[in-house]
Amino acid sequence: MSDIVIIDYGHGNLKSIQRGFKEIGKKTILSSNPSVISKANRLVLPGVGSFGSGMRHLEELGLVDAVNGFVEKGNPLLGICLGMQILFNSGTEHGMHKGLGLIPGDVIKIIEKSENGNIRKIPHIGWSALTTLGCQSGWEDSCLNGISDGDYVYFVHSYMAMLEDNKYLLSQCNDEGLLIPAAVKKDNITGLQFHPEKSGRIGLQILSDFSNL
Amino acid sequence: MRNIRIIARLDIKAPNLVKGIQFEGLRKIGNPSDFALKYYLQGADEIFCDDIVASLYERNSLLDIINSTTNNVFIPITVGGGIRSIEDVTSALNSGADKVSINTAAIKNPSLITEISEKFGSQCMVLSIQAKAKSGNWEAYYDNGRESSGLDVIEWAKKAQDLGVGEIFLTSVDREGTAKGMDIELIKAVTSVVSVPVVASGGVGSLKDVELAVKDGGADAISIAHVLHYEELTINKIRQYCIEKNIPVRKLSEYRA
Amino acid sequence: MKNKNILEKYNLPEKVEFCKECTTSNQRPRITFDKNGVCSACNFAKHKQKAINWDKREKELISLLDKHRKNDGSYDVVVPVSGGKDGGFVAHMLKYKYGMNPLTVTWSPSIYTEIGRKNLDNFINIGGFDNILGSVNGKTHQKMARNSFLKMGDNFLPFIYGQANFPLKMAVQHNISLVMYGENGEVEYGGDMTLANSPIKDLSHYDGIFFSNMSPEDWKKEGISKSDIAPYLGPSKIDVERNNTEIHFFGYYHFWDPQECFYYCVKNTGFEVNDVRSEGTYSKYASLDDQTDWLHYFLAYIKFGIGRATSDTAHEVRDGKITREEGMMLVKKFDGELSKKYFEITLNYLNITEKEFWEVVDSWRSPHLWEKDENLQWKLKYTVWMK
Repeated sequence: MSDIVIIDYGHGNLKSIQRGFKEIGKKTILSSNPSVISKANRLVLPGVGSFGSGMRHLEELGLVDAVNGFVEKGNPLLGICLGMQILFNSGTEHGMHKGLGLIPGDVIKIIEKSENGNIRKIPHIGWSALTTLGCQSGWEDSCLNGISDGDYVYFVHSYMAMLEDNKYLLSQCNDEGLLIPAAVKKDNITGLQFHPEKSGRIGLQILSDFSNL
Repeated sequence: MRNIRIIARLDIKAPNLVKGIQFEGLRKIGNPSDFALKYYLQGADEIFCDDIVASLYERNSLLDIINSTTNNVFIPITVGGGIRSIEDVTSALNSGADKVSINTAAIKNPSLITEISEKFGSQCMVLSIQAKAKSGNWEAYYDNGRESSGLDVIEWAKKAQDLGVGEIFLTSVDREGTAKGMDIELIKAVTSVVSVPVVASGGVGSLKDVELAVKDGGADAISIAHVLHYEELTINKIRQYCIEKNIPVRKLSEYRA
Repeated sequence: MKNKNILEKYNLPEKVEFCKECTTSNQRPRITFDKNGVCSACNFAKHKQKAINWDKREKELISLLDKHRKNDGSYDVVVPVSGGKDGGFVAHMLKYKYGMNPLTVTWSPSIYTEIGRKNLDNFINIGGFDNILGSVNGKTHQKMARNSFLKMGDNFLPFIYGQANFPLKMAVQHNISLVMYGENGEVEYGGDMTLANSPIKDLSHYDGIFFSNMSPEDWKKEGISKSDIAPYLGPSKIDVERNNTEIHFFGYYHFWDPQECFYYCVKNTGFEVNDVRSEGTYSKYASLDDQTDWLHYFLAYIKFGIGRATSDTAHEVRDGKITREEGMMLVKKFDGELSKKYFEITLNYLNITEKEFWEVVDSWRSPHLWEKDENLQWKLKYTVWMK
């Protein structure tokens, strides 16, 4: 049984994620090798940067098939931040880009004007509370099962997911009246818009629960 | 209003954490990693690490410190000082930093802001502005508050936003290290012309200062150094005070009803 | 202009050597190096940090002050101050910690800076001190400064003489026997170490009449009359003795740390740092009050290769504030920087042209220190940061 593999595609704060897992006693491997990736027990797709750039690097490294292959096998995949965004069909950051299409929906820019006409500051940076608001499924079978409704995690992003089907919505956060998908889940694929490796004790709990799924 | 972030700021002259007054007379306080851990455990929302001799040595010496700090600190860390190129940003991020802050390099070559934002995302790209009051306005300084750039802070902040900056870290050179209160006029002047988050820094001496910076200044986050390093306030006290004053902040589960 | 023989005039060693532990060199007049290549100031700093019983020294201070304290409303100690951190520290400690009644005495800068004047005002109003400011007739002062620059390569001599003699004069005039300076510069920064273990400046060879070996007749030849020179002179030896005058150094009684003086004065005397760093160095909190003092430091750089950044880094390294490595980088970056801000003002003050300025300056460049590079620019042969 191989360890948790974190995909190294030139995007993402890999060491932080590694350290997060290490803190909870789990070994991880960083890899851009398609064979290692498809054989992983659990896979983490990190991501910091832009949608287009992220997808391009994945393609250039020949990892798109490896990820798809892994998903087909059914083992748990965790996408973090940009890693969650590229799970969707497309993203509009710096132009229209195609994503992995593993979860139906698209990634668009966070709306800059709130309902009362105030400017919403972009990026969405900071700690927001995870809620089950508007979500159909509970957290029991997910990596959020060890935390509570209302726990705070750390977000930093300018783009957000628009799901085609809300049944994949695992958690939302309320950003000055705008509901932003914070976590999504489709079968063995989980996406987190926030950074669990940067969310203190709560985030470490999530990583731990992911590794025990 | 979004949740206000309480940020612990560490000025570092490797291998020491240091603190001065108006960037002068730097005293050694201790081991940076120890202090970062302490503030993380106290519940800080973020850590900001600044290498203040980077421009002297023409290199950033924080990579080792960031490496060891991030081993047991699981909140976002911003690294600044001597970041001059894409390579520097890559090294910083690879060491464990989540965001990079630049000042001198951006003043000398503003297009670097755009380069970094495009490659790594604007959320990664913090512009540090050291503002010195001058005849009713503020001038942007660099090299640890030593050299004046001639740029007007308000114009510079606006320009930086156009260039794609993700966040502005605004320090009052006159107030920093004095614990005599923040420059609220400065904070207000900047937050009213940009729509990126602004971290206010420099001069926090009391809980009231934090309240004024948010309510009157419009700051999205407060950076604190002096009162933390000298243990005059703790992160907890600040968080509790914000809750009492109806300033939205992260509520740690220990404190939620 | 004829090249001055620095080696002879200041009794300097011909071979340049840098201290192994700080940034200064053996070209600093009167400094000595031990067999390990460590300068006397560094050795003294170590001695200061390890071998002195400061409690015992404080007891000595208290018994000294007990002897002089008057408790009748009249002044009992003269403290020379500028409004800066060093005198401010001494005066405040003496008054508020030790219950003395100091008369603070200031010898006016040639041309006040805004921050210098502000700090003196804050010292008086926020710190709470009586102060006498001695200003010499501006025309005379300019003449003296000009002459000292042209003849002795130091525009700052009129300031230095006054700073040494005026407090003594005030002490005698006000019947105050005790004068308390801050640190003994020779001992702390590398020079004459004879007073390293003594609190007192020896006045037995005191000569209040002549300085720089120029008699009143010599000065008269320069167009400076007896009455012109009177304000610079100290009181007569007889009066000094009759007043039972003693000059002590606070640095003997209390561990001297200029940076800690800074912190203390920010808190207690309203001291503010300058807007910008001082030209020729990196700091913003030392020697801020005179628009012309940059030239004094610049001339030291020309004469000895030791500029302001060298002096500042040397003592900060000794005090453990910065590493030698950082010190060397700061010297490389700032030492010998010519003032942009005050260059013209100073030349106007000295009533010299730029051509004359460089003629005088260049005449002080000793060939054992200076050479011309490929672009015919003057360059120091040896620097502390050279590989």
